[in-house]
Amino acid sequence: MPLPLRARIAALVLTLLIVLAACGAQPAATPAQSAATSDEAVPVTNALDLANWDSVVAAARGQTVNWYIWGGSESINRFVDDFYGVPLREQYGITLNRVPLADTVDAVNQVLSEKEAGVDPGAVDVIWINGENFLSLKQAEMLYPDWSRELPNAQYVDWDNPAIYLDFGEPVLGLESPWSSAQFQFIYDSARMEADELPRSYAELLEWAKANPGRFTYIAPGPGAFQGTRFVKGALFELSGGADQWLSFDQALWDEHAPQLWAYLNELKPYLWRAGETYPADENELHSLFANSEVDFSITQAIAGAGPLISEGLVPETARAFVFDDYMIGDFNYLAIAKNAPNKAAALVLANLILEPELQAAQILPENGFGLGYAIDVTRVTDAAQLAALNAAQAQLGAAATPAEDLAQSLVGDSAGEYQSLVEAGWRENVLIGE
Amino acid sequence: MRNPSLRIWLTLAPALLVTGVLFGASVFYAVAQSLGYLSIIGETRLSFAAYGNVINQATVAGRELWAALGFSLWVSGAATLLSATGALILAATLSGSATPPRRSTLLALNANLALPHLVWAIALLLLFSQSGLLARIAAALGLIDLPAEFPVLVRDRYGIGIIVHYVSKEIPFLALIVLAILRTQGNTYTAVAATLGAGPWVRLRRVTLPLVLPGLAAGALLVFAFIFSAYEVPALLGVSYPRALAVLALDYFLNPDLSRRAEGMAISLIMALVVVGVAGLGRVFGERE
Repeated sequence: MPLPLRARIAALVLTLLIVLAACGAQPAATPAQSAATSDEAVPVTNALDLANWDSVVAAARGQTVNWYIWGGSESINRFVDDFYGVPLREQYGITLNRVPLADTVDAVNQVLSEKEAGVDPGAVDVIWINGENFLSLKQAEMLYPDWSRELPNAQYVDWDNPAIYLDFGEPVLGLESPWSSAQFQFIYDSARMEADELPRSYAELLEWAKANPGRFTYIAPGPGAFQGTRFVKGALFELSGGADQWLSFDQALWDEHAPQLWAYLNELKPYLWRAGETYPADENELHSLFANSEVDFSITQAIAGAGPLISEGLVPETARAFVFDDYMIGDFNYLAIAKNAPNKAAALVLANLILEPELQAAQILPENGFGLGYAIDVTRVTDAAQLAALNAAQAQLGAAATPAEDLAQSLVGDSAGEYQSLVEAGWRENVLIGE
Repeated sequence: MRNPSLRIWLTLAPALLVTGVLFGASVFYAVAQSLGYLSIIGETRLSFAAYGNVINQATVAGRELWAALGFSLWVSGAATLLSATGALILAATLSGSATPPRRSTLLALNANLALPHLVWAIALLLLFSQSGLLARIAAALGLIDLPAEFPVLVRDRYGIGIIVHYVSKEIPFLALIVLAILRTQGNTYTAVAATLGAGPWVRLRRVTLPLVLPGLAAGALLVFAFIFSAYEVPALLGVSYPRALAVLALDYFLNPDLSRRAEGMAISLIMALVVVGVAGLGRVFGERE
């Protein structure tokens, strides 16, 4: 029966073509549908007037803000929902849609693909971002410009601080607004070691490692593992005798000091965990080596020190944070708004809400689950009650945190952005691969 | 529809169309990006610079390329060879016994297919790492003083952990293929050989192997291509250096410097070429047999 078969094949092919055509049309339509209010939002967005904040708040009412945020920590997820989701809904009539990511680069790729496909409005409103991901989106010109210094709460932010207006050495301009701060610190286990046995400089660390072979390692520097890059940069600062000279890029300076850096790290290498044959790829891998007693130190960026890690059960309860006497790199992390964001007004309200002094005070407390430091400059807060809350929170950090004066004494800014890839590529070549 | 070959093509058309459009478009984009066509940063000039960079070791990606290529070939070659041998012996043993393989045995082999690679890799890590279950048991029993003295079996420089992973996953897969072939052949050939006085080794070598070789070779090629281009297991069970090609390619594709993407794509296409080359070699040898 040739005819029915032919007819069936024809029907099948036809159906398939229709399905394919529908698929082809889908991507352009989906984001618009998912952002229910985008039809009204687009014309309003174009007219957003940051000088008239009430008009922004009015435009934001009823919107859903899609916040793409690293979702690897349950406690941070809960903090975001409780401390930002609730006030957004109750005070501003905004729904917070937290989109958890395995890695922030996924949000970057989402926005870049949307740009390639010409999708506007897109799916992403806000991204928790800094460093290389910021650089990628800035390079692709996919960030909403000229807003972060115009927020009402930008008055609390010290925009004259290079650690704030430079993100990994890259000028922030008005492209992102700070959320919190972090500083490189080590973690040790007070049940295993006394505080006075701790190394307090890179030179002492080398001595310590020689006396305790196999008990120390650091995170492999590279894109996505900035903690490792920071560890290496700190060594560079100490070996070259200062951090400030690295704030602007100077190839000759790098060429002069890089050999010393590789020599130091190669001298350290045989005394590392697994003799430097391999390195942990990220913070979590190092935490588990530390918790399993394979190594004696871990690394964190949280101002609350080991506190948030203890409450997550990643490290023992006796874990404590500490710093060297100098060259512990600190930085800020930010919120950025995608250029094709469907709900820009709501995104602006969220970025502004995050800088409220009460919420800033809440974010540093380990029991709230976030544990990163202030984005605002406490001295700029004039309201007495708010100031008291900020100071009280600072005083409550507890034993697992590095004392505030140690942090302040050792704090240095990150080096100019150009050094990032020099350090990472040079480390792979000169230390990991070696001769 | 008198023409049978036209009929075959028409029946295949729906499937071809889907793979053609989806796969073809990705390959097209991959080639374009490897040639430096990166519309996201407004780069539209085409050149072979990325290929030159990785092959001439001009950039860091290039300096790792040959080590990564060697590592990937070693891991996928060794794992494929061991899996094929293991599968052949397992299948021959299962079908050689007087009673047919029990349902539970087949179920165990099938269940392995449903277990994701990622899950199995993490299980191996929890078992074999130096702070893993076995290290702790050995330390508790006093066989070693510290868990850290446990031999390095995963995240080792030679890819032993990765090979162990794939061998344990692919033996059941290939064994199922071989068993399916053997089931259609029945036991008659081996039975005849046995009555003529052939021992088990001779039967395997002279009877079973020639019967299953075409199917086993095709399956082994599939396994090789899969392992050679796999990302997650080498990423989990591998070391920082040398890395597998797929890990290297993704690292460069995700590099914050968007212009590095071309190099990541070039590495991916080099991987594809190697797989196509191995498949071609397999075909040539297959036809000569």
